[in-house]
Amino acid sequence: MTEPTLVIQDLTYRYRGTKENAIEAIDLALERGEFLVLMGPTGAGKSTLATCINGLIPHFHKGKLEGNVIVCGKNTREHTVAQMAEDVGLVFQDFEAQLFSTNVELEVAFGPENFAVPREEIGQRIIENLAYVGLSDFRNRPPSTLSGGQKQKLAVASVLALQPKVLVMDEPTTDLDPISKMGIFEITNRLRQRSDLTLLVVEHETEEVLQANRIALLKDGRLVKVGPAHEILRDVDLIESLGLMPLGITRFFKDMSPEASTAAVDLPLLPVEAETAYRNNGWQVCPQTYGALVAKEAEAEQTFRAKDPLICCRDLEFSYPNGVKALDGISLDIYPGDIVAIVGQNGSGKTTLAKHFNGLLLPTSGTVMVNGKTTKEQGIFRLGQSVGYVFQNPDHQIFSETVYDEVSFGPRLRGLPADQIEARVAETLKAVGLEGAEEEDPFSMTKSARQRVAVAAVLAVQPDVLILDEPTTGLDYREQRSMMDMVRRLNENGSTIIFITHHMWVVAEYARKVFVVKDGRLFLEGTTREVFSHEQELLEASLRPPHFIQFTNLLGYTMLRPAELAACTKGGGA
Amino acid sequence: MEAELYLDYNTPYHRLDARTKIIVFLCIFVGVLMFQDPRWLIPTFLLVLAQLLVSRSAKNLQRIRYVLLVMSISSIVLWNFFASGVTPLFWVFEVESMYYALGRTILIFSIVTMGVILISTTRNEELIMGMIKMGLPYRVGFAISTSLRLVPTVATSLATISQAQRSRGLDLESGNVLERVKKFLPLLVPVFLSTIRNTNIFGMALESRGFGAREDRTYYLQMQMTKADWAVLAFFFLYVAISIWLNVMGYGKIVGLVRF
Repeated sequence: MTEPTLVIQDLTYRYRGTKENAIEAIDLALERGEFLVLMGPTGAGKSTLATCINGLIPHFHKGKLEGNVIVCGKNTREHTVAQMAEDVGLVFQDFEAQLFSTNVELEVAFGPENFAVPREEIGQRIIENLAYVGLSDFRNRPPSTLSGGQKQKLAVASVLALQPKVLVMDEPTTDLDPISKMGIFEITNRLRQRSDLTLLVVEHETEEVLQANRIALLKDGRLVKVGPAHEILRDVDLIESLGLMPLGITRFFKDMSPEASTAAVDLPLLPVEAETAYRNNGWQVCPQTYGALVAKEAEAEQTFRAKDPLICCRDLEFSYPNGVKALDGISLDIYPGDIVAIVGQNGSGKTTLAKHFNGLLLPTSGTVMVNGKTTKEQGIFRLGQSVGYVFQNPDHQIFSETVYDEVSFGPRLRGLPADQIEARVAETLKAVGLEGAEEEDPFSMTKSARQRVAVAAVLAVQPDVLILDEPTTGLDYREQRSMMDMVRRLNENGSTIIFITHHMWVVAEYARKVFVVKDGRLFLEGTTREVFSHEQELLEASLRPPHFIQFTNLLGYTMLRPAELAACTKGGGA
Repeated sequence: MEAELYLDYNTPYHRLDARTKIIVFLCIFVGVLMFQDPRWLIPTFLLVLAQLLVSRSAKNLQRIRYVLLVMSISSIVLWNFFASGVTPLFWVFEVESMYYALGRTILIFSIVTMGVILISTTRNEELIMGMIKMGLPYRVGFAISTSLRLVPTVATSLATISQAQRSRGLDLESGNVLERVKKFLPLLVPVFLSTIRNTNIFGMALESRGFGAREDRTYYLQMQMTKADWAVLAFFFLYVAISIWLNVMGYGKIVGLVRF
């Protein structure tokens, strides 16, 4: 009974054709029923470790493996991936590519079919597992018609149908909106309570891992620390030093009492705990300081409103050729020099809206004006000069062999003289923090560097407005920060910025104004502070402010950053 | 993005068993090969068109209209070069070779249309099941259906990628065919890369769910031949029998045609 379900012994792995070990000397054992979260920055080896557990390494990816992985007494070296599937389930990050059936119930049936489970029992398992993840009503739907969150739930159900003893999820929520994320974590939470299932989840959203028994921190392929979740989360300095996002609440309390040791056991983690702790410390928010903050923002809003809008939508409606109405009567203004965020659930219409700003889509009715002229009369080629659009996935955009060719593509198309192109490329690369990378091959760069190349390529034609679709998806916290710091610098140098994102903390820290889209309508609009103070409405739009903001809302004020609250706090020992 | 080939309608044709649809496809295939003369091909052609209407698959045929156009034109021109007759029409064309070229075009058109109908009305899993029930090994059926599944994936990423490039000022819509092709070629790099990446995850997901774990396998999907299926089959067997009989009797040939 005491034999651990999953044992990783001195595991080292190197991918074929690379010089460095992806993971090195990993020792880890998981008890039956345990829930462990694996965290670490990009390139730490999280996914490598996850794919070792069901035998994809060494069977699918070839390379050099030392040490052992033993699941329920089976060594992964001696069993094929398919044979391991009965014991280990693996859910991937990419919810599109891991589903392959044309129908929800057949997707769930696929696993048990491979193990020759009798037909009647497969039917049972379909009913059970679809109910477990809340997809019973979608049984006969094609998976392609489901939302992102539902697809990921289906992936979980289809893996659970094999009744594995270990479930591994590799960043299952990275591409999901906040509420879909919560849906997946709600399922995780129920799974965690099952004593027959051992859970290992790779995740980098700190707020979502509070439920774990233990957290393992990974860096450069090595385990840095393994310990009880709450203990690790309270060690904000360690988490930050690894390039991960610390909990805002914990960060705040740590900063307010610097004398507390790293092992402080009483640092609050959750909004409600934080509110109690704040009041117990005898702290108060100074209304004058807060009022000044709000007044300054109101003034800025007035200054923007006095200008002529750069982008102006009136009663914008858009239907796809198949008749689905994606946008339904949107009116909004975006002013020059502003930095705004567009947020909303997966499929709410935010990307469709943004594609109207550069003429990729034209309204079915209503108007979209850029610089005072409708997008219809300007056309996409001319609009491309004033509105730059960076797509979500840089790999959809990059096709040149060198960074120079990629970045100079736009200016060349627009007939810029050759002698100016070189200077333009150098200047643009400097702006995105890739100085001197002209001769590099974009395909061998990291995801975050490719993202920057994509931004540079759009920036090179010097548009007035830059639209970024999910600029931080797939990056770790440190990369997200440096990406957004770069975007902010561009804004300070005069570019108008519109970004679409699921990361609420990115909105809180970087946007001045927020547009919330729900079911193709503009649901909420205002300065970032105003929007985050409407917690209930945000919830209706499947959004949720970061824990830190929820905590300050409990105090009756909306603070976007720990530093703001620190500046407004008086009384007590502070 | 609507890139799926399967059309989720509930027509009588959709309700037919996958095996029936595969056999009907094969029957038409054999039937069209029996005649050279386009006039003799008219009944088969009408039969194909009737199926297209009943199954409401014309939408998918319309998607490949350019491919069909190019195919038809090249077929008419090429068969005229590769065949000759006795009655001159103009230049290298003779009346007989023209008839023959028309017949071959109807043949190609019919087979392509039947393929489109089959894919538009049959779910991937049904197609695999149908093929397995007819004796094909599971892995072979799975491979065929997987390659079909690749089509919508590639089409979707091609659409996204061309949008991304148009946003950067690449004008894909003007210029002659050659210029357009030249502008389109670089886009294939990201298309290939993302397809390879997707296929890789697909492979991993497949194995992780136990693909090929055992020799034996159960099938959740069940298929049932109904009266309608047998009626349709009877009709098409009769059609094939008559076609073959007419062929043996020497009907449907073009007199005076010489093929190289």
